[in-house]
Amino acid sequence: MASSLALSQWRPLGNFKRIAQILPGLLLLAAVGYAGKFLERSFSAYGKAHHLTLPNIEYVLWAIVIGLVIANTTGVPAAFKPGLATYEFWLKAGIVLLGSRFLLGDVLKLGGISLVLVAIEIALSLLFMTALGRAFGLKPKLTTLLAVGSSICGVSAIIATKGAIDADDEDSSFAIAAILALGAIALFIFPLVGRWLGMSDQAYGLWAGLGIDNTAEVTAAGALYSDAAAKVAVLAKTARNAMIGFVVLGYALYWARKEGTEGVGNKAAFLWAKFPKFVLGFLVISAVATAHVFSKDQLTSLANLSRWAFLLTFAGVGLRTNIAEMRKQGLRPFVVGALGEVAIAFLTLGLVFGAEKLLR
Amino acid sequence: MTRQLDSRTENEKPAASKFSLDAWAVTLALVLSILVWIGWIKHIPW
Repeated sequence: MASSLALSQWRPLGNFKRIAQILPGLLLLAAVGYAGKFLERSFSAYGKAHHLTLPNIEYVLWAIVIGLVIANTTGVPAAFKPGLATYEFWLKAGIVLLGSRFLLGDVLKLGGISLVLVAIEIALSLLFMTALGRAFGLKPKLTTLLAVGSSICGVSAIIATKGAIDADDEDSSFAIAAILALGAIALFIFPLVGRWLGMSDQAYGLWAGLGIDNTAEVTAAGALYSDAAAKVAVLAKTARNAMIGFVVLGYALYWARKEGTEGVGNKAAFLWAKFPKFVLGFLVISAVATAHVFSKDQLTSLANLSRWAFLLTFAGVGLRTNIAEMRKQGLRPFVVGALGEVAIAFLTLGLVFGAEKLLR
Repeated sequence: MTRQLDSRTENEKPAASKFSLDAWAVTLALVLSILVWIGWIKHIPW
């Protein structure tokens, strides 16, 4: 979320000025991410050297915590913000590269199961969030944004829906703040609950992919549990992301009819415009890897490239979270979002336990 | 963050480039994959 200024202006292969703008923040992402990796190794080495039983704290958690501390103490100077905003770019590139670690058959099987669960989750979440928004007297469009943000894919879905239903900037700011704050909380709670329930990597990954809103937080929550859980979490979230166009189209048509404004013209073009293209990249790489185009060493290199890309993302998750600024956005949208998230977490947990036999 | 959130809405404005962020991310990942495949990138450590 950091510096959207940045996100909107940032285009790779732009002129040198843009590259110079991005560089400080990118270096900060790399420094924080690498510091996380360094601390993980050092902490573990210290425990071994002194014969201490220390918990294995993964680089993911270190990177997020270091980022959170910086963002909420010294703050992030404006010069770093354009580069910080690239965390989303690295996330998507990392997901595409992660495709090399999946056989296409597994993608289709797990993706198919995920899609069915996602459809159920989206339908129930939208209904529940809409009812909750009405009960708390939130503005209808703010309720729509919160419902979309919590049922599909967080900030991207809110931004896409905002444009489609012509919602206020203020409403989208409230919804984004609530969804981001709740995502940050879920990131820490999901792994704890997963461990407490003794969930398998697959079941936990599926739960995180269905229950947490933002893709970056899903990836981090999966990686905090295990490498295998992160893979499944990203796949389930990718299936969820693929549904964004349909839900946004549905809301665009609903609001156009309700307000008597011009509806969506070419629906296929609308769906394509909203479809997250990195899903296609993920499938292409997975298909190529399934065809044994890459050697074992090459697959390891691609997997490591994906890890480096995620390292920058995890640093960005911490650095973009400003707790003081989130507080300013008001309590009611946050309460509605929080109640909705808890309900969605229970709902998706039930769905995952129900589908667990299919996962084996 | 208010400024940050507000400025997110900039995303709704027509982009200067026809390539979206997603498309650039996919392009980078595919280029890296090709470089690994043809052997230009030999080994990526972790």
